[in-house]
Amino acid sequence: MPKAVKVALLLTPALGLVMVMMSLVIWRAVAQSFGLHNFNGEDVLSLRHWTEMLGTRRYWNALQWSAYVATTSSLITLAIAYPLALWLRKPFAGSFLLSALIKAPYFVPGLVAVFLLLNVIAYHGIVNQALMWVGLTDRPIRLQNDRNGYGLIALQVWKQLPLAFLLLQGAVQAIPDPVLNAARDLGAGSVARFRKVVLPLTARAMQAASILIFIGVAGDFTFQATVGPTRENSLATLMVQYQGVSYGDWNAAAVVGVTLMGLSLVGAVGFTALVQVATRIAERA
Amino acid sequence: MPAIDIEGVAMRFGDVDALKNVSLHVPEGAFVTLLGPSGCGKTTLLNIIAGFLAPSRGRVLFDRQDVTGIRPEARDTAMCFQSYALFPHLSVQDNIAFGPRQKRVPKTEVSARVGDLIRQMGLAPHAAKLPNALSGGQQQRVALARALAVAPGVVLFDEPLSNLDAKLRDQVRGEIRDLQRRVGFTAVYVTHDQAEALAMSDTVFLLNGGVIEQSGSPREIYFRPRTRFVADFIGAANLQDGAIAGGAMQTPFGPIPVDAADAARRTICWRPEVVRLSDVGALSGRVAHVAFQGGWLDLFVTAGDQTLRLQVPGTHDIPDGAEIRFDVARDAVVVLEDEPHA
Repeated sequence: MPKAVKVALLLTPALGLVMVMMSLVIWRAVAQSFGLHNFNGEDVLSLRHWTEMLGTRRYWNALQWSAYVATTSSLITLAIAYPLALWLRKPFAGSFLLSALIKAPYFVPGLVAVFLLLNVIAYHGIVNQALMWVGLTDRPIRLQNDRNGYGLIALQVWKQLPLAFLLLQGAVQAIPDPVLNAARDLGAGSVARFRKVVLPLTARAMQAASILIFIGVAGDFTFQATVGPTRENSLATLMVQYQGVSYGDWNAAAVVGVTLMGLSLVGAVGFTALVQVATRIAERA
Repeated sequence: MPAIDIEGVAMRFGDVDALKNVSLHVPEGAFVTLLGPSGCGKTTLLNIIAGFLAPSRGRVLFDRQDVTGIRPEARDTAMCFQSYALFPHLSVQDNIAFGPRQKRVPKTEVSARVGDLIRQMGLAPHAAKLPNALSGGQQQRVALARALAVAPGVVLFDEPLSNLDAKLRDQVRGEIRDLQRRVGFTAVYVTHDQAEALAMSDTVFLLNGGVIEQSGSPREIYFRPRTRFVADFIGAANLQDGAIAGGAMQTPFGPIPVDAADAARRTICWRPEVVRLSDVGALSGRVAHVAFQGGWLDLFVTAGDQTLRLQVPGTHDIPDGAEIRFDVARDAVVVLEDEPHA
């Protein structure tokens, strides 16, 4: 038997299953968005579902909102996780406990996290009571379901921070001390060491973290439905609305689903490019 | 090319004294080696000279200027690390150019320096490669070129050859020494390999337990060890305890001539290769084992409860069990300063 055939056969049980499962899901969503695999009638290949969806304001609002929340959450999460990872690179008294606390949200299921946050930001929650107690406000302010989505973004950051921290901490700790000492020895101060050594060597972890966070947040349903602004939809909540009892329109839901996949792809490419450009600028500055 | 002075340097890590009141002088342009076993404090001392560690006590001076409080990036030093510590994301030429760029050397001069070093080190075919595409020897050359690119007055070597195979180690050892003479810099070299220290150094500082046990030229350290530790650490040595009377130590092999006053109990040391086989030799013993080493034979000779190691040219044909006679010259025997073992 030719070697290539043997290798293909050996890989088929694992790789084949993964590829079939993935491509089936993607194909099904794409096909439904063009009127095929129709649950509600005849299969008709058509651009109708796309043209109708692209003509609705709520679709564009949802796309814009998902992109905004995903991008903002990713950037804020990285901005918090990166300095933390650098700070905790070397162990010190209490650093283990601090690392464990940062990773703790990873073990909290999404809905439980929402419940915890509601206790904090609800109309009569801890934050409002504290604000009134110190005299910053006379009456409770709206933090839950706020129109700018600050509560939603805060919850996303809280939930995604452990993932970013784990990836960045691994990358930062993988930089050998002698490499940093060599840079120092050759005249690089702390800023130059960060720009020319630490940043380039952790860029891939930063790309991975930002992409995973972006995709996770862009596709989120739970947080948006519970603490997101009531007048805004994310692509995920919009998809469920089209697919669910409100409309029962699987083809429209598929259009939104395919858009969500597209947004994830754009986000992944965008963050990859952003980190690369930022690293190059930092290295040359 | 500064001279270096270490004055009363001590370093404490928790409850451990890594260095205890160490003082030494490195003349301008000299090649000195800090030699010693693992944990003796040699790398700690090197890191203090580089500025990576601040001593618990004492001072570091370059040309009599106190640099103890000066950060590593502002010192006139460059280090070659044991692990090479090349920047993995930069090409060979960018690694070499890193230092001059940091020190704001004009671009044309950076290019010239990098080009010269790449040529000198034979790295031209690898200039655009990343470090992970190079062999250990090539990486070592890049590390050396990177250190020299900043034209440092002092180059610090932290066991730079320990990851190379024996043949390459010999070659790079020669290259480093040659480069040091040609370029001109003060070199402080850390190693636990006594052969490396003897072959390369103007002066060897042998450290043990955080103190300098002995310093001197390689010949002095080898042929005139002062303590049992030095004698034992540097090369092979025959150490014998006993009484000295009438200019000789009585041993089961016979009287070994010693240039020392009578004493009840002392330790003498002599090197295996100083022995001279002779049918009329004053010393005798039975060959318990012969190990052929190519250029020489190691003879393990016994008498009474003692065993000596003798080295004779490999052309000799001496079987196990042979009775041999030999002499040891008086000036080849050293009486050690420390107390004999009980």
